[in-house]
Amino acid sequence: MNQDLISSILDLISKMVFPFLGTTEIIAQPRAYWDNSYTIWLIFSIIFFVGILLVGIYIVIRYRYVKGKNEEGAHIEGNTALEVVWIAIPTILALFLATLSFANFMYQRTLPADALEVKITAFMWGWEIEYPNGKVVSTYFNTEKPFEKDDSEKFYLPVGKKIKVLLSSRDVIHSFYVQPAMITEDAVPGRITYMWFQINKEGEYYAFCREYCGSWHSYMIAVLKVVSEEEFNKWLEQK
Amino acid sequence: MEERAEDLEPGITSEGTSEESRHQHKEVKPWYSGGLKDWIFTTDHKKIGILYFFTSFIFFLLAGMMGMLIRYELTNPGIQLPSIAGQEGADLYNYLLTGHGTLMLLWWAVAVWTGAFGNFLIPLMIGAKDVAFPRLNAFSYWVFLGASVMVLLTAIPGNWIKMLWTAYPPFASNPNAGPVAYYSIIILLYGIAATAGSVNFVATIISMRTKGLSFRKMNLFTHTILGANLIQLFGVPSFLGAVTLLFLDRYIGTNFFNPEIGGDPLLYQNIFWFYSHPAVYVMMLPAFGIYSEVIATMSRKPIFGYVSMVLAIYLIALIGFLVWAHHMFAAGIPDWARVLFSYTTILVGVPTGIKIFNWLATMYKGAIRLTAPMLFVLGGLFMFLIGGLTGVLLSMVSANLGLTDSMFVVGHFHYVLGMSVTFAALAGILYWFPKVTGKMYNEKLGVWSFIFAFIGSNIFYFFQTFSGTLGISRRYADYPNILEWVLINQIQTFGSVLLFVGIVLFLINIIVSLRSGQKAPKNPWHSPSLEWSATDTPVMSNNFKKDHIEIHKDWHPYAYYKGYHEHF
Ligand code: HEM
Ligand SMILES: [Cu+2]
Ligand SMILES: [Cu+2]
Repeated sequence: MNQDLISSILDLISKMVFPFLGTTEIIAQPRAYWDNSYTIWLIFSIIFFVGILLVGIYIVIRYRYVKGKNEEGAHIEGNTALEVVWIAIPTILALFLATLSFANFMYQRTLPADALEVKITAFMWGWEIEYPNGKVVSTYFNTEKPFEKDDSEKFYLPVGKKIKVLLSSRDVIHSFYVQPAMITEDAVPGRITYMWFQINKEGEYYAFCREYCGSWHSYMIAVLKVVSEEEFNKWLEQK
Repeated sequence: MEERAEDLEPGITSEGTSEESRHQHKEVKPWYSGGLKDWIFTTDHKKIGILYFFTSFIFFLLAGMMGMLIRYELTNPGIQLPSIAGQEGADLYNYLLTGHGTLMLLWWAVAVWTGAFGNFLIPLMIGAKDVAFPRLNAFSYWVFLGASVMVLLTAIPGNWIKMLWTAYPPFASNPNAGPVAYYSIIILLYGIAATAGSVNFVATIISMRTKGLSFRKMNLFTHTILGANLIQLFGVPSFLGAVTLLFLDRYIGTNFFNPEIGGDPLLYQNIFWFYSHPAVYVMMLPAFGIYSEVIATMSRKPIFGYVSMVLAIYLIALIGFLVWAHHMFAAGIPDWARVLFSYTTILVGVPTGIKIFNWLATMYKGAIRLTAPMLFVLGGLFMFLIGGLTGVLLSMVSANLGLTDSMFVVGHFHYVLGMSVTFAALAGILYWFPKVTGKMYNEKLGVWSFIFAFIGSNIFYFFQTFSGTLGISRRYADYPNILEWVLINQIQTFGSVLLFVGIVLFLINIIVSLRSGQKAPKNPWHSPSLEWSATDTPVMSNNFKKDHIEIHKDWHPYAYYKGYHEHF
């Protein structure tokens, strides 16, 4: 194996396992709340994992079968005090993590008052967005260039502004996943669901469909084009 | 009677009668004797268990091949699979994914326990001659085989079912989903077989234990099979209900799930997951049972905290029914329900955690033999630890909103179900290989197959799991050409190939050992558990020599400690 491959694999691992590192500024919300739940879970998990692994490896090596020396196990059938301890600790930890996630969830799900409200409708296999002034943009899958969109199909959004999304679907269940914001909500036919997000840096971002919806499920993307507020307003006024 | 005394293992007393010795002369054949006709018309739990085993294992291999084809598709961006019969490569992918998921879950991870291991072992472990309803048992297998044959016919182009194993409406009533009626009938047959099986096991374990074998002396594997079958008994009807309603919606024009005429698609998800979540414990609990059997035997220690191990089994089975909505965290259910189910879900982690600690404590101060089955069990525990910890993250609703339907979920359940369950099954196959065949497996091949499978699956599933945190979605035939994503997928494929090699070595081991394995001693693991200590190796058709085996008051299936043998 060459040096490059190894370093890019290490790079990859650090990016996947520690996704909250590296980005000093938070480029999208409510990502911070996801990061927070994830980080604290990761710390607990690594401690638990390494602890159990080390104890396990120690036991297997220390108490392995040796002919003539260690052939029979000791007669230990239980220890109530010990069991109470290791029932109590995980219970407390579990309740702590669930409560932490509850707190973060409140932020993720509470709609901001000062938001730009858009309606997004899903269909097989594309998306349609309707802005407050009635402007509608729709995007449709394209097998020729599946992950690129013409400018006319991009969903323009103002940078740094909270976006409130009312979601629905015209046919089957789809799911709107705003990748930089780490937030998903299903678009269910016959229902209106909601979510909010905010992107703090200009650029283009993907929103993927995350509920399986047939042949071109993987090409059902929307490109979110995040631009300055002025540019957005100018674009919004064009017919 | 005197001269047969030495046949008896410690703890088992004989109640010989002259009637019983007459039986003996008639039935000394090993269980597998008999021609084709005997096999077809058999009602013997051991033969039915083996029939189930072969069907299940063949479908495991088939689904594994489908998995490899899925990996082939995902190794590079773009559609790789050929269009067959005018249907796009992406459609073939969706068919393969549907098949892989359904077969791995229902035909392998569920059926291998309830059908194969349970059938062969449970009567032996509880000292019974057969299951409670032997004919129902045979019926169950043949219905299962019918469903299996129907599955094979879906491979015909035009017959592809492409709605994934979850079959969510209203997609399921879209022409793009494939033949839903066909799917419903397969699942209904499967469900009939499963229900017949679970009725049988519950009745057998409750009412056919030999005298003296109280619930506190039952093997943990038997407890887990009872737990799993109780779940089946209560859960399968709801699954069949969901599928039946789907069928009616599509073909009779009812509107349970069709939102256009007042139906509710989320109703399906509630009914479906009410079974399908507990179903993961149908797969997991017997794996726990095998961990317990193998760890106690190979460490030569009684199970640490037997009573809490048993309670944990039934607690898991019970809480399993209270968490289904964690599959719907982003599906538009009310926020309070999401929080409530987040708490119940995370609490299932506790009884499972207890089991891990108790297994470690069982090994503590033991005399651990690192045989191939023990390695598979330790590897399975390692996988389960990662699977359990990633499960805790998924049950945290705030984290779930960013990870649902991503590769993180797929990696998580491959750790838990894919490998933890599969390693347990492979461990079980090796551990009871002598009992079934009368021959020993090949230790070297066993160890090598473990090494390949363990390293391969960890490379594969580690990258699969955490690739979800980068935003990679599941059930995608294609993905954008982002350099990192391509690299991640190629590493996964490398891992899956190592895993594949491990499984092939395992298969070679089975075949080689069947043909030319060493003759097995009667009780190679020196286990007091009844299936070893009270039967011949391989088992005779009549299971036990005596009609009534009776258990000594100090007998326990895990009495491994020093001094036990002198005790009697
Ligand atoms: C040779 C071994 C295996 C390989 C190569 C493999 C590969 C895969 C791949 C690539 C996916 C697709 C993920 C996605 O795009 O959503 C998948 C899905 C899945 N696998 Fe496996 N897998 C293997 C073993 C197993 C086992 C042993 C089980 C269970 C006992 C299992 C259960 C599943 C399930 C339930 C799905 C989800 C299908 C769906 O999305 O509906 N797999 N597998
Ligand atoms: Cu979609
Ligand atoms: Cu679940």
